[in-house]
Amino acid sequence: MNDIKNHAKPFEFMQCISILKSTAKRAKTLRELRDLIATVSEESIFHHTCQYFLKGRIREYTNDFAHWVGESLEESAMAEQLSSIDPYEFKNIPELRTSLLTVVDNYLEDFPEPREALAGEEFYFNETITIVFPARIRAKNLAEFLIAIRYIDGASIYYHFHEARTRLGGGIDDFSKWFDEVLGERELAKKLWAIDPFMHSIEGIREQIMEIVDEKVKNDMEITGVEE
Amino acid sequence: MIAKYAGIAPKGDLILLQKLGEIFRDKSFLHINSTRAGGGVAEILQRMIPILRDLGIDARWETIEGDERFFDITKKIHNAIQGNFEVITEEMWQYHYEVNKRNAKKLNLEADAVLIHDPQPAPLIEFKIQDYSESGNVPWLWRCHIDVSNPVQEVCDYLRRYCEKYDAAIFSVSKFARAMSIDEFIIPPSIDPLSEKNRELTEDEIRETLEKYKIPADRPIMLQVSRFDRFKDPIGVIKAYRIVKRYNDCILILAGSPASDDPEGEIVLNEVRDYASNDPDIHILLLPTFSDKDINALQRSATVVLQKSLKEGFGLTVSEAMWKGKPVIGGATGGIPLQIVHGFTGFLVHTSEGAAFRVRQFLNNPEMVKKMGERGKEYIRNNFLITRQVRDYLSVWYAIKNNEKSVFEL
Repeated sequence: MNDIKNHAKPFEFMQCISILKSTAKRAKTLRELRDLIATVSEESIFHHTCQYFLKGRIREYTNDFAHWVGESLEESAMAEQLSSIDPYEFKNIPELRTSLLTVVDNYLEDFPEPREALAGEEFYFNETITIVFPARIRAKNLAEFLIAIRYIDGASIYYHFHEARTRLGGGIDDFSKWFDEVLGERELAKKLWAIDPFMHSIEGIREQIMEIVDEKVKNDMEITGVEE
Repeated sequence: MIAKYAGIAPKGDLILLQKLGEIFRDKSFLHINSTRAGGGVAEILQRMIPILRDLGIDARWETIEGDERFFDITKKIHNAIQGNFEVITEEMWQYHYEVNKRNAKKLNLEADAVLIHDPQPAPLIEFKIQDYSESGNVPWLWRCHIDVSNPVQEVCDYLRRYCEKYDAAIFSVSKFARAMSIDEFIIPPSIDPLSEKNRELTEDEIRETLEKYKIPADRPIMLQVSRFDRFKDPIGVIKAYRIVKRYNDCILILAGSPASDDPEGEIVLNEVRDYASNDPDIHILLLPTFSDKDINALQRSATVVLQKSLKEGFGLTVSEAMWKGKPVIGGATGGIPLQIVHGFTGFLVHTSEGAAFRVRQFLNNPEMVKKMGERGKEYIRNNFLITRQVRDYLSVWYAIKNNEKSVFEL
């Protein structure tokens, strides 16, 4: 194990920024939202679901569709259902799109159509152009990782913890992958897998990771047994 | 210069700026607008050009010249785009075009990328130099800073003839984007934390300004900083102040600078003075252009800052006040809801009564003032500093040059 750690491939922190690009498509009613979810680009669906956390706002929803339905149409029940959709569970965007449509279609079948959004509160469909670049921070071991995670930008945590789930699939993030595959620290990786990405802001995720790694580093530093 | 932002702006933004600076080293980037002084656009350009140059980019800033008739027409176009009924005759449009044509002859339009700000110089696209760049791909971008969510349609349609000839348009807020045949990016404007308007001030500097304008520091201060423009609703702010005054003794300051492209400013200023009717606790300050330090001092001495706009391009005074840790009450219009997360970094209001209620909440709850002020400052750091805006412009330039894939790795 020590041999693995000493020659481990360092963790290269990356981060990303996104520039919003308008599709110029907007929905005023639930039916319009539904029809546009069915037809907008995959990039737009990705932006309004997977990139929700990059905005860094603390809200009670987990994607833009749920937020709009809850706040602008005041349809709490449907907002709850849309919020429970985990975009990282799906293999691809078409499957995620189908899941969103199923929630809206079921609702439209069972309930009267909600009022339309007030002027200026329509849902605006956007896409993004994403630029990924090195954060110029490298961690060779857990102690260095702990210092880095404390200071890196929130956009770096988003890239490695949230965006990685789309790249890697299976609920895996870059941090736990490095712990498991490079450092051979499967137990530590499992603790990261247990963090619910939907229940925390980026800063909340940072605190959780710091706490878990801090405990591990402290334990590794302790001298056990009786000194002679 | 860019090094001065270390420890203030997010580190990632600075890293990406350096990378983009390397990519566009010695390339020319031309900005054109209609005024060098007054208003948010000129202010951002004054700060942005030196940053771009420091990154190694040959940035230039030109302004178009026009007579009173031209600026009367462009003010009407501006108002119509923001939803006020105005008739722009064919003759007026022709004059708008002719003035731009004259400017095009005088200006050096040769550049590797061109960014035209707002409707006044929009017709310059007709004079684009087609074969300037060896690659033949010089992006011309039209940057719209104003609220176009509910325009007078005929005026918007006419302007579109010019806009759709650009390679892309840039709006401040998603809801301003229109269905056009070109790409439309959303880039909010920003403030410069190192400018005279936003830098840290000493207590003495703040006191100096208050003494200069004879403002007593013995009571809470309500402040709105904006041009004297009906869309900024200065009368509505006085109404709110009068409601607050029934419960809490306070002072109101309405402070603004004249803009050379806004002939209506004086009319509105006189309306506001009449409405204030010599109330000794209402201070109406017509600040000279470049009163940045005084505005900074006024914002720092305020207890509560308002931006009760009825229409707004973006409302950067909101970010300025939030950067100074002040709680802000803003009209729920234009870009203000992007800056104020209601109930978290400030309050959004729709009426004078709503504004008065929120002011009273702040005046009676110092803990809320402190907490919202702190959150607001962090929110501005991560989203509305000038380094982010320069980063976004260069990113759009890069994306257009590279055929707009959706993901790039640098």
